Amino acid sequence: MKILVCISNVPDTTTKIKFSEGDSSIDTTGVQWVINPWDELSLTRALELKDDPSSGIKSVTVAHVGPVSSEPTIRKALAIGADDAIRVNAGAADAYFVAAQLAELVKKEQFDIIMCGIESSDHNGSEVGAMIAEFLNIPSVSAVSGITPENGIPVITREIDGGREKVTVPAPFVIIVQKGIAKEPRIASMRGIMTARTKPIKVVEPVAGESLTQIISLEKPAPRSACKFIDADNPAQLIELLKNEAKVI
Amino acid sequence: MVKQLIFAASLLITLGVFAYTMNRLISFFRLTKPAFPVRDIGKRIGIMLKVAFGQTKIFRFPVIGFFHALVFWGFCIILFGSLEMVVDGLSGKEKIFKFLGPLHDFIMAAGDIFALIVLISVLIFLLRRLFFSVRRFEGVEMGKRSHTDAAVSLVLILLLMGSLILMNAGYTGYKHATGEEIFGVYPFGNLIAGLFPGMTAGSFSIMYEISWWSHILLIFFFANYLPYSKHFHVFMSIPNVFLSRLDPLGKMSNMDSISREVKMMLDPGPVTPSVTDDPPERFGIKDAEDVSWKNYLDALSCTECGRCTSVCPANITGKKLSPRKVVMDLRARMKEKAPLLLKNGKDFSDGSSLLRNYISEEELWACTTCNACAAECPININHPAIILDMRRYLVLEEGSAPGELKSVFSNIENNGAPWQYSPEDRLNWARDLEFEVPVMADLFAAGKKPKYLLWIGCAGAYDDRYKKVARALVKILNHLNIDYAVLGKEETCTGDPARRAGNEMLFQMQALQVIDTLKKYEVSDIITICPHCFNTIRNEYPDLDGHFEVINYLQLLNLFTKEGKLKIGTEAFMGLSVTYHDPCYLGRANGIYDEPRELLGSLSCDLIEMKRNRSFALCCGAGGAQMFKEAEKGDKEVFIERTEEALGTGAGVIATACPFCMTMITDGIKYKNREEEIKNLDVAEMIAVALGL
Repeated sequence: MKILVCISNVPDTTTKIKFSEGDSSIDTTGVQWVINPWDELSLTRALELKDDPSSGIKSVTVAHVGPVSSEPTIRKALAIGADDAIRVNAGAADAYFVAAQLAELVKKEQFDIIMCGIESSDHNGSEVGAMIAEFLNIPSVSAVSGITPENGIPVITREIDGGREKVTVPAPFVIIVQKGIAKEPRIASMRGIMTARTKPIKVVEPVAGESLTQIISLEKPAPRSACKFIDADNPAQLIELLKNEAKVI
Repeated sequence: MVKQLIFAASLLITLGVFAYTMNRLISFFRLTKPAFPVRDIGKRIGIMLKVAFGQTKIFRFPVIGFFHALVFWGFCIILFGSLEMVVDGLSGKEKIFKFLGPLHDFIMAAGDIFALIVLISVLIFLLRRLFFSVRRFEGVEMGKRSHTDAAVSLVLILLLMGSLILMNAGYTGYKHATGEEIFGVYPFGNLIAGLFPGMTAGSFSIMYEISWWSHILLIFFFANYLPYSKHFHVFMSIPNVFLSRLDPLGKMSNMDSISREVKMMLDPGPVTPSVTDDPPERFGIKDAEDVSWKNYLDALSCTECGRCTSVCPANITGKKLSPRKVVMDLRARMKEKAPLLLKNGKDFSDGSSLLRNYISEEELWACTTCNACAAECPININHPAIILDMRRYLVLEEGSAPGELKSVFSNIENNGAPWQYSPEDRLNWARDLEFEVPVMADLFAAGKKPKYLLWIGCAGAYDDRYKKVARALVKILNHLNIDYAVLGKEETCTGDPARRAGNEMLFQMQALQVIDTLKKYEVSDIITICPHCFNTIRNEYPDLDGHFEVINYLQLLNLFTKEGKLKIGTEAFMGLSVTYHDPCYLGRANGIYDEPRELLGSLSCDLIEMKRNRSFALCCGAGGAQMFKEAEKGDKEVFIERTEEALGTGAGVIATACPFCMTMITDGIKYKNREEEIKNLDVAEMIAVALGL
């Protein structure tokens, strides 16, 4: 069986986001790019499955839709342990476009399990995984926190309200994973980085596809105001501030 | 003539067996990796005279150390007599070195008296081992075999000394009885001979012959028993001290194989095949054949005294790590694996390895790299070198590390600090000061070059408590009109936690980046706050071609006080009782003990020392990247053990000089519910207060 892990290239979580082009896109100057944390976890789980002979997983491929500038992130995924990578040479216009491209890859390369992080940590769209499944008319399972081989069949664990659900679906299928899918992201070993240098990144041109979303504007949350400390002996002041300044009572 | 022949034959057998053993060990050494070139012979001789012959480190445990020193010096003197016996035995002459005259007399007399002293000392050692429970001699690694080995060795020495005394008694008794000339002086032998007034010359002669032969044959046996015993240190300790690593304790060796890879990563031009074709077989230590000759020499030299383990903060608090076990395991594993490698080729695997089958990951991750073990070892064994190279194997080859450390790696890689904070916020600590903290890039743009670069460190930049220390320090620097600047947003982690957590690659990426920035601004002098940054930039960057004059803030401030430029008011802390906790990376790692104490002295506070202070100081528990992970399972947290000791002094202030120590001690004070009465302050903060800043 072959796993495809879809990875997204996102700004590091400590990045101070700035906007450009009239507040409709993110200014990428000086941004440190990383693998989307949920995708990193799904890659980790995919590699764990490959390490387990009973899973029947023979290879782990990563796929990414993005320009050549995102190759260091792909290389990182290879260093962590993916066998090979495919990059669709196009900007990730929106979820619909990206899903169309990835669906095309799955069709061509015949993957059995497609893993997508629940969302990307930049735009938080939470759409691509389900869309891929729809494009291909195959099952998709959401809120996945585990996948384990049992008697040669991958059993998927879902988080449901107040508990867990175990399901199986016929392959090929898409799983949309969230935290818990792997304990912690695997790190690249030196040996991994060295071998990643010669691992193939296949570049394919995008198939025709449209993007359905247009970003009108982006805005940041209002900065948190400073915390005011009020002396414990002065409850009157607290009430006064809650009434007149915070206007909550 | 017959006697000579028998003697020659036994000597030949002794040398033969010894040569076989040595040949075997040399073939084991051939399997090891390079460590460092042996240069600075003068310096090495100096260390050998001091540490080996002067027994300076053994005196760190003064009472029992004194007895050991007596035994050592006794052995040195007695060795001369043993050599004379060998020449006598071969030549059939008597006391062949007698031509040395008074010197011969002196050495013989000293040997005679030392035989008694050694006998008594060894008797004390043996009785102590047999009848008293000495904690240092216990532990999982101290099996029955270790105890038997120790007892056998001590009994052998007792017999050696006993036979020597009887030999001298027989010799003098015989000479007195026959009136022949005595060569050499034997005060104690004489005394013993005097106890047998009625004994004939013949009897004395028999006594002499029997004890002469038993003594020399015991020596021959002992010499061949030693290499198979923990007591091999009798031979190995002096060479081991001579071959000590000369670097400061805090310095970790550079992995040149990683440097090549990292340079290729940072400058990804065309990949030169000559470099990629030749990657090392293995990064770090997984098994016996991965160790350096020095690691193995250390292992062979260890006599299992357990001083290292008795001062190890992890071991003291009930964790599995025991530095002695690490060294003993290496010796045992080499003994097991080396013959297999020699027989079946260097790629042979017996399905076992030093890592995991002997030393667990849990042991390795418990080390705080405080270097107490290495500082304590009487023969300069470097335990952390083995532990850290095993961590390097785990991370570089297997990508394996405790989860929290993996996050630390990601953070350092992505945002240049062990914590998840934006590099954009690096200068937030300096906000709202009454003056502007000069930033290197601004000064440089204006064509100015400050004398010092002030290295803030990640804790100074992001840790709310330690930001106050950074602020206190710049206030003092400002007060002193010191020409300095900071890197601000251009500063990034030195790589210390990554390196000590085994991630040599990440360390070197960070180091090269920092060195590059520092060179860009033509920095030559650096003031550091964090002792870990201090140690890394000062001791480890030179290996990566980063050569800077690095001074710790305490050294600088003390210098200014001594020169009279920094006059500290004594009112603020007058008479206040203060205890100072030595940070490992200032103290043991870099020998800075006096400066903080002199500064505290100039505050006129009442300095109370903890029992474990200066080079004996107990780690706070945070070094070696422990700061960022949960401690391994044990009976107690290290920081609690240390805080309890500090609180035990009754001091009102626990002074520290390291961000990690501060976090640990502050936590400890909170844990003990003493934060109302006891303050944890950095020395810089105290000075700033005293200056009214």
